[in-house]
Amino acid sequence: MSQPAPDKQRNARRQAWLKEAARAGGRWNGLATGLLLLDGVAAIGFAGALAGGLGALEGGMAAAWPWLALGVVSAAGRGACATLSARAGAEAARRVKTALRRRITVASLAIPAGERPPVGSLMASAVDEVEALDGYVARFLPARRAAGLVPFLVLGATAVASPLSAGILAATLVPFILAMALAGGAAADQARRQFEALSRLSALFADRVRSLPAVLAFQAEAAETRRLSGAAEELRGRTMGVLRLAFLSSGALEFFAALSVALVAVYAGFNLLGLLPFPVPESLTLGPAFFVLALAPEFYAPMRRLAAAYHDKQAAETAADRLEALEALARSPAALARPIPRAPAIRFRGVTIRYPGEDRAAVDNFGLEIGPGEVVALLGPSGSGKTTLLNLLLGLAPLTGGEVLVDGLLLSEAGSFAPSIAWMGQAPLIVPGSIAANVALSRQDAPAHEIAEAAERAGLGRMLRERPEGLDSVLDERGGGLSGGERRRIALARALLKDAPILLLDEPTAHLDAEAEAAMIPVILDGARGRTTLIATHSPRLAARADRIVRLA
Amino acid sequence: MSNPGRLKDLVAAERARQRGRLLIAGIAAAVVTAASVALLGLSGWFITGAALAGAAGAASAQGFNYMLPSAGIRLLTILRTGSRYAERLAGHDAALRALARIRPALFAGLAAAPPATAMALSTGEASARLVQDVNAVEARFVRLSGAWGMMASIATGTALLLLAGPMPALAALAVTGTYLLVADRLATLLQAPGREAQRAAGRLKEDFATLAGAASELRAYGLEGWAAERIGARSAELAEAQRRVTGGAGWFELAQGVATGLAAMGAMALSAEQSLPIAAMAALGAAMMVDGVAGFARGLERRGTLREAEARLDAILGMAEPPRPARPALADAPVIRLAEPDALLRPGMVAAITGPSGCGKTTLLETLLALRPVEPGRISLGGADIAALPPEAARRCFAHAAQDAALLAGTVRENLLLASPDATEAELWDALRDAALDARVLALPGGLDAWLGENGARLSGGERRRLVLARALLRPAPWLLLDEPTEGLDAATEIRVLERLRARLAATGQGALIVTHRAAPLALCGRVLEMGGERRVAALAA
Repeated sequence: MSQPAPDKQRNARRQAWLKEAARAGGRWNGLATGLLLLDGVAAIGFAGALAGGLGALEGGMAAAWPWLALGVVSAAGRGACATLSARAGAEAARRVKTALRRRITVASLAIPAGERPPVGSLMASAVDEVEALDGYVARFLPARRAAGLVPFLVLGATAVASPLSAGILAATLVPFILAMALAGGAAADQARRQFEALSRLSALFADRVRSLPAVLAFQAEAAETRRLSGAAEELRGRTMGVLRLAFLSSGALEFFAALSVALVAVYAGFNLLGLLPFPVPESLTLGPAFFVLALAPEFYAPMRRLAAAYHDKQAAETAADRLEALEALARSPAALARPIPRAPAIRFRGVTIRYPGEDRAAVDNFGLEIGPGEVVALLGPSGSGKTTLLNLLLGLAPLTGGEVLVDGLLLSEAGSFAPSIAWMGQAPLIVPGSIAANVALSRQDAPAHEIAEAAERAGLGRMLRERPEGLDSVLDERGGGLSGGERRRIALARALLKDAPILLLDEPTAHLDAEAEAAMIPVILDGARGRTTLIATHSPRLAARADRIVRLA
Repeated sequence: MSNPGRLKDLVAAERARQRGRLLIAGIAAAVVTAASVALLGLSGWFITGAALAGAAGAASAQGFNYMLPSAGIRLLTILRTGSRYAERLAGHDAALRALARIRPALFAGLAAAPPATAMALSTGEASARLVQDVNAVEARFVRLSGAWGMMASIATGTALLLLAGPMPALAALAVTGTYLLVADRLATLLQAPGREAQRAAGRLKEDFATLAGAASELRAYGLEGWAAERIGARSAELAEAQRRVTGGAGWFELAQGVATGLAAMGAMALSAEQSLPIAAMAALGAAMMVDGVAGFARGLERRGTLREAEARLDAILGMAEPPRPARPALADAPVIRLAEPDALLRPGMVAAITGPSGCGKTTLLETLLALRPVEPGRISLGGADIAALPPEAARRCFAHAAQDAALLAGTVRENLLLASPDATEAELWDALRDAALDARVLALPGGLDAWLGENGARLSGGERRRLVLARALLRPAPWLLLDEPTEGLDAATEIRVLERLRARLAATGQGALIVTHRAAPLALCGRVLEMGGERRVAALAA
């Protein structure tokens, strides 16, 4: 209650985000809701059948049969509507999640390198947090829309049989809404916090399992178990306080649901007996009286369905906050510069790169002039911004100040020089498929002989000759059977295959032993010929072979 | 060695411990459904009776006992509401208390399992699943009261229907029984799509991790759309599998609807011989009887998930190794004897381990730490074969700085204290200085208490490595095991870190095994152990 305004704002933004995401469900959203409305109609039919059947029973079974048949059909119809609604909701959820996951994937890939959360965390967002919208779209949204309409449908049907009973139902709604507004708002807020606290404990648990080897190595298992116990016990204590309040609102719902039935039953009974202490304009008979009684529980049923789906809403809101934050990190390059035909000159002028929210600039007022075709090695301590400078040219780091000119083109205008860049990193991308297909990722329409040529130049020849299938050898999901050096050669072949005038190498020999590094260096230098090349490296041996060494502080 | 049912024992113990609360929740659930059945049945009887009495004239209306039923209706209303509140509160209280004990017990079980299991589980995917498995167990605790509700619903419904005769009661029981059987069958059928959804999620995660790890490369080759396409295809598989699960659960609704209709109308038809009020009571009572068991039937839907969760948790708990016989305590600083590479390392010695990638340098360190199983006769520690030593006896001797060591999601301080819970502030800063990380930590907002994020996300790769090094330096163990301690450091920082290390080792008398493929650390080492020689020879010959 201390800061209602920002909370309210945040909630409004969250709701808008969820609404936008749910739009991908298209007409299936509406269908799921519509079927729940039909379920309400069938409920009215069932109540009618009960009342009609009872009235007809006096005349013997022959007269009652049609009503009883209607009852079975209506009840089965309710089940069918609910089933179909669940299926429509599931289809809507499928569409929403597929569309959202695509958005999150695209956003994940466009997050500047320095701001990128760990891959595990991105993966959790794209898979599990998107999955959290399943119940929200499939169950909660249809239930919420139906809860706004079905009670009035029930109210209308009741009014036809007994306007005063309808009045009684409507009258219980007023204190119900008041109670919900008072207790429900606070409870919902508390419940969300409790939900978040629970996810924090789960995260703590997951984290300690993840770091178990370190915990074991330091013999801290007993201490960490005690810490987990303490955290779990503390959370339990707090949670129970919250739940007491949260269950009050569902208690209010139950109470008014039961109260409405009881009031209608007592009123109808006294009306039938003619014993009401006050005059009423209607005089009930068995049929209508029984009808309104059987229908009364349906008045609050949609709200109870909604309450049952409430945790789906909480899960979706928690996910929405995280996914929205992730999307906010993504930067799409304004445009891509057109490809440059030949090795360009690259000029860094007073370049500053500062990631939002960081306490220091990753690169501060950096200047460098690189001639066409020159090979420059960037040396410097970790964290000095070597990789960041390479990512800047790709548009994957923010140019906070200064300018980069590539053959006179401005980075601040182009956004990214990716079309003119070939890249090789320390953890190359290997996808399931043939080696040829992996090499050709940089130019998917490359003819076979050019792929073979690039592979040969990258020094893959011996490895390919050892494999009976050569370039057509299929690599599995994890690129199994490839050594670190071979993976890098594939990445280098990929870089050579793309006819790009700029070559960027990010720690191309890290984690290789001396022998493998020595074999790799000439291949890299051969690939750099005719291209303006920047190598970010820690290796003095590799740097020594560049045209020029630039040290970053 | 597997010991199935460990989780069951644990859950059973918690059920016994929470017996009081679970009993309250169960009784409350029973009252809820019994009151629901009675409320509707009584209301139906009351209205019909009132209608007949009213139609028969004023005298008979006056003679109709309306006080008792109308009071009963009000009582049942209050009873139902209050009991529902009590059920929820007691049920969740019991579940939370049980879980607050089961979670740490699971962690302890995991820590006592052979480390290979723990290492296999320590990927994000596996640990996230472990969390979900525990949540499934919690949900089961909350649902325990559903069975009470079901039984009370059947008992009350049967009693009410028996007033109308044995036939309506039998019919309603038959319908309810069939409904439960169908729900059980549906739950079984839904297990296969549930498993498929889980497998699809695994495939999606794998593809996503591969592609998201290569964002720069994708940007350079304009492959972002292609990557999104690939992930999209996997995502579609998962969404389709999940749709089948969610959509399949819809069949429970149909089963419930049909059961309600058949029970109500059947009870009414079979009560035709009785008075109208009794028939009304029978019809509404039968409908509510089905409603009362629905909660339990829906719970069956998650049975597949629960069984799989329990099996996985059981597997973890069942793997705890039997304790090895205690041995005479090892010397404070034991001698290390290795068979491969052949070496005898005396306390205080500093040795480098070199060799090509993949020759088992890291594995050797993990074996010393009893994080990996080892054949007898390969390594001895203070004269005792490590294969026969209790793991804690071996671990006591070492301080490990792993190559890709996990950092705790916590503060700098929490990460350092993991190695030495009693270290003073000055000792923490000393260790940070020796790892050339003091300036960086000083600059962090909060200093030692700066939050590092998941696996030290706020630090760069090199900084994480130095924090791991500082952590190892803090532990007063006779041997340091350092895995590529200076990889990724620039030459100046590397020299500084190594100089500090030399000084520290000289001061403490600790020995060290340093895995490295860089030249600078070798200067510290009195001995260089070359690994993987044979493997290289074999590779050249092939």
